[in-house]
Amino acid sequence: MNITLGAQQQTLTSKTLDQLAAGQMATIRRVSGEGPLRRRMLEMGITRGTTIEMIRRSPFGDPIEYRLRGYHLSLRRSEARLIEIEL
Amino acid sequence: MPLTIALAGNPNVGKSTIFNALTGARQHTGNWPGKTVEKKEGLARIGEQDVLIVDLPGTYSLTAYSIEEIITRDFIVRDRPSAVVAVIDASNIERNLYLVAQIIELEIPLILALNMTDLAASRGIAIDVTRLSEQLGGIPVIETSGGRVEGVEALRTAIAGLAEGRHPSLHIPYSPEIERELAVLSEATAQRLPAEVAPQPRWLATKLLEDDPAVLDALSEADRRALLDAARAVRKRIEAETGEDTETLIADQRYQFIGMVTAQAVHRPSQVVVTLSDRIDQVVTHRLWGVPIFLLVMWIVFQFTANVSAPLLAWVDAFMNQTLYGWAGRLMGAVGLGGTWPEALLRDGVIAGVGGVLVFVPVLFFLFTALALLEDSGYMARAAFVMDRVMRWMGLQGKSFLPMIVGFGCTVPAVYATRTLSSPRERRLTAFLATFMSCGARLPVYVVFGAAFFGAQSGHLIFAMYVLGIVVALATGLVLKHTVYRGQPPAPFVMELPPYRMPRLQNVLRQTWEHTEGFLVKAGTVIFGVSAVLWLLMATPIRPGAGAFNDVPPHDSIFGAVSDAIAPVFAPAGFGTWQASGSLVTGFIAKEVIVGTISQIYAVEALDEPAAPDVTVPQEAGEAALGLLQALALTIQEAINIVPRTANLIPGLSAPELQFFAEATAQEDASRVQAALLGSFSESAGSPEAGRVAAVAFNVFVLLYVPCMAAVSTMRQEFGWRWMWAQVAYTLGLAWVAAVTVFQAGRLVFL
Repeated sequence: MNITLGAQQQTLTSKTLDQLAAGQMATIRRVSGEGPLRRRMLEMGITRGTTIEMIRRSPFGDPIEYRLRGYHLSLRRSEARLIEIEL
Repeated sequence: MPLTIALAGNPNVGKSTIFNALTGARQHTGNWPGKTVEKKEGLARIGEQDVLIVDLPGTYSLTAYSIEEIITRDFIVRDRPSAVVAVIDASNIERNLYLVAQIIELEIPLILALNMTDLAASRGIAIDVTRLSEQLGGIPVIETSGGRVEGVEALRTAIAGLAEGRHPSLHIPYSPEIERELAVLSEATAQRLPAEVAPQPRWLATKLLEDDPAVLDALSEADRRALLDAARAVRKRIEAETGEDTETLIADQRYQFIGMVTAQAVHRPSQVVVTLSDRIDQVVTHRLWGVPIFLLVMWIVFQFTANVSAPLLAWVDAFMNQTLYGWAGRLMGAVGLGGTWPEALLRDGVIAGVGGVLVFVPVLFFLFTALALLEDSGYMARAAFVMDRVMRWMGLQGKSFLPMIVGFGCTVPAVYATRTLSSPRERRLTAFLATFMSCGARLPVYVVFGAAFFGAQSGHLIFAMYVLGIVVALATGLVLKHTVYRGQPPAPFVMELPPYRMPRLQNVLRQTWEHTEGFLVKAGTVIFGVSAVLWLLMATPIRPGAGAFNDVPPHDSIFGAVSDAIAPVFAPAGFGTWQASGSLVTGFIAKEVIVGTISQIYAVEALDEPAAPDVTVPQEAGEAALGLLQALALTIQEAINIVPRTANLIPGLSAPELQFFAEATAQEDASRVQAALLGSFSESAGSPEAGRVAAVAFNVFVLLYVPCMAAVSTMRQEFGWRWMWAQVAYTLGLAWVAAVTVFQAGRLVFL
């Protein structure tokens, strides 16, 4: 029981990629989620230790454009929320 | 057996430019067996021999989640090409090398074509080719930037040198715990598989660790289960040991390997260089300008497919259905077959059928050109980025918007336009919904009925039909999202925004031609067949004595009998007459045909064929040629007119439009047809007022029922028979329910 609580607390306090403001940089810590989506994110180079910069939101606020490994990538907010980062 | 070389690479790396440079005109486009993914093959002259080059679909990886990835992987694993040429974008080398790392694991001779080095240089990225080759186990690395001659020649030499077939003497190094388990799993795999089935046990073991069991499909059930169980146990062990799942570990470590390679071979500037592409994006995806720019681009694409293509379409139509039609009559008359059924077969069956296919060529030419420009320039990804949020609301995604817009012009190119979507589910749904947009062929029906039943207020009917189509598409999308597709997660939208590039004219024209040719061959045959069958039905009398073959009043032909049989179905909608149902049947050929059929059936006397004995064939040929020149001039005029027409969208502005030729004032006497329509609908519905409601119901039916055989056979070509029939059934059912609802509710409200 305690362990579950602890894990929940950790996810609550850690920052996720969708919280970055335009121009802000962060380092990727972990990619959660599962299945094809997570694999695709890993393959696109969203792996631990990678530096990622938030470029801009789409005019309707979602999806969001990022720069990593020298290229530009668009992620929906729901997808970015699965990526834990540290500033 | 000739050498086979596979071209692999990420999307947007200029792979097709290299393919074209290697093969020139000697190429062939088809489909991968059983798939809708395009397969391109070509012959390249290398040294003294012809080498078969197979262009694999652009992929980011070799897992088994998308059709493109499975095709690429299966081709390399099962067909064992002599070598793989991996085309990579030098300006984005890390992510491109991820695919390369996976190809290295397949242990196959490999050449790296380092493309877009000029773009990399402009960003201050320098790549040491020798070092890169060393780091990747000594594989040849060739700079091929921009398809320049020297690069392509060097690539040819490298391919020739690989004829003896060496694969890189390199393993992607993994961490000790993964290496240990890989050894265990490769051993187990090798034991169960003969070497010729599984030439790369280490690769298979890696895939098992990545939880990608599709690689075991060829095995017996027992062997498969044993290996899967072993793999599961191993994955658990690794997870317990490291606290990470193996999938993440493997992806991480591949990228670590890539990091080591690039640390040695790639020099990057310490500051990110702001490129022209970045500056364009600051405007194009801007918070305020993004949406207007997107709408403007869509408007221009629509103008091209609907208006710029119109003069050529009209010319093709006139040439086939008047000039050629007339010539066929003269020819048959000259050989003594005038007025016989072979003449009718040639004219009304063959020429009308071929004409029905060819009229789509101008539309598709402009659409495919526009699509190729949008894709190759990189704007398509931005359009999807801007519109994704809105389209997701109805269960679609950003790229679905364009096919919808194109659907207002014509459904056939709209279905093709869905090719830019990668998820099959979203593709089908987009095509499905795009058919509800009022295409150009439905408009004449609205116009005729509007004029007959609503006179000066005919615009209301037309506008209502356009709105209704959009509403039905929205509602269908929403309903499907919350029923059939409920609980299914949306397809990942992880999408690259590639740098903007100047499209290459050669690539654009080649794509346009290939796609148009595909339509002519595949959809064209079906359209042609259906036209011929329909002609046959109209020419054959239903009973002896009703008339001779090819000389029978419409009502007494098989066609008339079929229409009679269908008619009662439409009684609840207020238009249960054989004339109405007959015109709906012919409307399946193309919806504008409904108008033609209506005037034929309802007009009291048959129209005499215009006799023009004093015009000779050379004169007609001259006129047709002149007509073509005029159509080309009008095409240019319409292209230029996009500018004033776009400016006129701003309220208060009225920029003049170019007009090269005086408008032909075609004043057909439509009053007789209108009167006949009024009479027929009033009679079937019970009263003149009810007839008006029935006319609206009829238009609703025309809007919603099966688009037309061209669109339907395009659906079949793209999605297969099952989806085609699903669409036919749904649209017919929906159209009937909607028409009946409109008629019954309309009667209650207005009468």
